[in-house]
Amino acid sequence: MRNGFLFFLGLFAALALSWAGIVLGSNAQLGQLAPLMDENEGKAFPERFPGLAAQGEKVYRDLGCATCHTQQVRRPGFGSDKERGWGDRQSVARDYIQQPVVHLGESRIGPDLANVGARKPAYDEADLYKLLYAGTDTMPSYRFLFETRSTADRQPSDYALRLTGKLATPSGVEVVPTERARLLVAYLLSLHQSYEYPEARPIEPAKEGDK
Amino acid sequence: MTSASQAAATAEVTEIDAGARGPVSLLIASGLVWLVVSSALALLQLLQAHSPALLADCPIFTYGRTAAMKETAFLYGWAANAGFAVALWLLARLGGAPLRSTNWSTVGALFWNFAVLAGVVAIAVGEGNSITFLQAPRAIQPLLLVAAAAIAAPAILAWIGRRQQATFAAQWYAVAALFLFPWLFSAAQMMLLWAPVRGVLQAISAGWFVQGVWTLWLAPTALAAAYYLVPKITGRVLPAYDFAPYGFWTLIVIGGWTGGRHLIGGPVPAWIPSIAIVSATLLLFHYIIVALNLRGAFGVKSTALRFVAAGLLAYLVGGLVDAVFAFRALAAITQFTWFTQAQLQLALYGAFSLTLFGAIYFLGTRIAGRAWPSSPLLRAHFAASVLGTVVLVAGLAVAGLTQGNALADASATFEQIAADTRVWLEVAAAGQALLLLGNIVFAYHFIRLALAAVTSPVAPDAVSFRRPPAMEASAS
Repeated sequence: MRNGFLFFLGLFAALALSWAGIVLGSNAQLGQLAPLMDENEGKAFPERFPGLAAQGEKVYRDLGCATCHTQQVRRPGFGSDKERGWGDRQSVARDYIQQPVVHLGESRIGPDLANVGARKPAYDEADLYKLLYAGTDTMPSYRFLFETRSTADRQPSDYALRLTGKLATPSGVEVVPTERARLLVAYLLSLHQSYEYPEARPIEPAKEGDK
Repeated sequence: MTSASQAAATAEVTEIDAGARGPVSLLIASGLVWLVVSSALALLQLLQAHSPALLADCPIFTYGRTAAMKETAFLYGWAANAGFAVALWLLARLGGAPLRSTNWSTVGALFWNFAVLAGVVAIAVGEGNSITFLQAPRAIQPLLLVAAAAIAAPAILAWIGRRQQATFAAQWYAVAALFLFPWLFSAAQMMLLWAPVRGVLQAISAGWFVQGVWTLWLAPTALAAAYYLVPKITGRVLPAYDFAPYGFWTLIVIGGWTGGRHLIGGPVPAWIPSIAIVSATLLLFHYIIVALNLRGAFGVKSTALRFVAAGLLAYLVGGLVDAVFAFRALAAITQFTWFTQAQLQLALYGAFSLTLFGAIYFLGTRIAGRAWPSSPLLRAHFAASVLGTVVLVAGLAVAGLTQGNALADASATFEQIAADTRVWLEVAAAGQALLLLGNIVFAYHFIRLALAAVTSPVAPDAVSFRRPPAMEASAS
């Protein structure tokens, strides 16, 4: 390697090659993906992100929720994603094209959230608020997303959490989700991958008894 | 070994070392501060994973933010600073001339560390990106890029102005690391922060970047140090050195393709993980050549070399584990678990940090013009680092396998999984605590060395330099 110029060129080209192969290659394949127009329903899927959800994504991002939660249902043959009720079908690239920032995630300390807005039985806002407020054995509580305040000189909030048992608040005090909590929950409930795209029909694993 | 490194070997402490003293010691000192910070955060993260209620009410230390801060402090704080320092010093030594324009490195290092600090604080207050290895807000990223260019400039000048036309493997790896980092980093910033690509292309680009940070930046940095230190300390020519260029180019050409293996089963084109699995296997060729070249590192009584040997072992084992666990049958179990953390820590702590510790022990002596003050501290650091790495990686790996098997069974709830992995996370936390302890010892030792050098400076040309027997035994 006496020729410095050739050496630099080689280094440059080696990385350029992998970049072109992986990034440009997948862009060539996926870059043209467009929402699928459904004539029966009269709208295109995936639907646009509601504005609140787009803001809630920022809360999801800054708290680092993706450190413990994925947002991808793997194909049949990979783990128990379907059996756990995380989705009826695998996630496909088209599910994500409307999301400004995609959080596929790389760790499952907690459940997958790709379909958290379409769970059966369905979560509603109150469930998610309570989960965020109380936490579980495996998830920290996020009490700083809530405000505990007195109802002495104000109208009780519509959003106030209905807490029971150990968490119950004394009368005259209510726990209200802050703006950030509402945005986060709006984001979570907007996550669903239920529309059946042609490419999303489950591919059964080639071999029986693989997993 | 080429004549360039032999020429350098004849003069032990030279004006080359004296010229590099300022920027190199600044980089190492700041790297060590970040190392201690990141190991403390890593310990906190593991404890939080063990008991989620810990500091849950403190928004700054939300689990996700703790993890992001730890990663930023480790990668951009410790690994980058230490890597720059070693690359600068190596290229000066092997170039055979004192560094020129070292002010660029010094100013660059100040800006770099300011940017890392700003990044960590920004993550703490909720401005993070939640993108692996790009956690700091995007406003800070270009500053890092410019600072990296400034730090690296004297090293590139040393390479261009080298006295010998022929080059040595350590130089290839060091130059590759310095040159490929800005390339990779600027492309990733562009695709993920400034003009984000669409949909899952983000995940694909992020995978390419994360893998590149390891295979094209940190691994070459560690290998540069190992390729320099092994022949230097053993005093022997590297065996099978003719193959070294093939090992080098395999890593550089194939390394960038292995990133997609974490995306198996996901919403990406299936060829992306497939090509990554093939590449991870092809990369074994690189590991074999490195093992052949550097096998002299094992069994030599030298503190610096013992660190390098431990790092090398971690590197080789890590490469093998990466290749084996890339295969779908195994990866489907370990995907999304602590096991991937174990692989990452084996690379970052085991392969990278241990090798760089060795390099810093070697160059610290030469930069300061004196031996490290205390050999008990040296031994304590070695024991804590090696034991800590083994315990941390083993704990995480077993936790990951337990978690992976339980995740595959739909009847296991997350509470059960947490209960099953808890004891292994305790083991990992113990390993991390050892690492923290070792890192504090190392930082303290470095401060003592620096103080000794500052309070009684000896002109380098007047030093009658005797190699401390505790450090290096075999050569001369």
